[in-house]
Amino acid sequence: MTRSAPVTLLLVWAALAGITLLAWWIGAHHGSGPLRPQAAVALSAIAITIVKVRIIMREFMEVKHAPPLLKRITDAWLALFAVGMLAAYLI
Amino acid sequence: MSSNSLSSAPDDSAVRGASHTHPAPVIPGQPDMWVLVMIEALTFSAYFVVYTVWYRFKPAMFLQSQAQLDLRLGVVNTLIMLTSSWSIARCVGETRAGRHRAALTYLWITAGAGVLFSVLKVNEWRTMAGQGFGFETNLFFSFYYFLTGMHLLHVLVGLIMLGVVFHQLTNPARRSRELVETGATFWHMVDFLWVIIFTLLYVMR
Repeated sequence: MTRSAPVTLLLVWAALAGITLLAWWIGAHHGSGPLRPQAAVALSAIAITIVKVRIIMREFMEVKHAPPLLKRITDAWLALFAVGMLAAYLI
Repeated sequence: MSSNSLSSAPDDSAVRGASHTHPAPVIPGQPDMWVLVMIEALTFSAYFVVYTVWYRFKPAMFLQSQAQLDLRLGVVNTLIMLTSSWSIARCVGETRAGRHRAALTYLWITAGAGVLFSVLKVNEWRTMAGQGFGFETNLFFSFYYFLTGMHLLHVLVGLIMLGVVFHQLTNPARRSRELVETGATFWHMVDFLWVIIFTLLYVMR
């Protein structure tokens, strides 16, 4: 079979769609109070997004089968993005 | 542009799979595309960080403006992009297996999702503008139109790339696996950039 089997790809899509629905629930304004920043919502949304992007890269973009250099470069960018977002949010 | 023709060479991934051995690491598509993907990722990361800094400086204005967006539409857009990413991954798999008719079917699904995403995005812009929320309304909406506009530009470039892939798959004299993988890599980038934009504009509070 080819590198990414159809069943695996379907499961990856289902997982990503499920995580998106979770983000929908997180992002929805629960309750009737005024809108205010919620660090837990923001940081968990960013963390979930980083997980989603890594899944897309590893599975759909087949980085998991790529040479170690490409794995390191993509993970380094994700780490840089995570640190940048965390710093921007927490300043 | 490509040196890998399925019409003239056996599919090495099929050979690897048939032998049940662990495949050797290979970069999917042309390495140049991965350089572009990383440059784009870094550039958009800078936009995302600047957006978040402003969000922290003016939280009330950003939250009130964000509440004007339709979160459900953002979710639908995301599901469409994820589906298109899945279908172009299937297109690559079918191309490697030499099943070009099936590959074309998945390519059409990807392109259809890309067009649907674009139509929904333009419609969302029209709705927001109709409600009086334009590019110059405030900083949030400047970011909203800029980020979604830059992303839509990449969707359109991606659709042109899908056209090149279509040209490859429909012509037995071409059918470059490497070029199909290269087009798919760009499309996946368009997908993950949207996943981040969705979080920042629609979800993050």
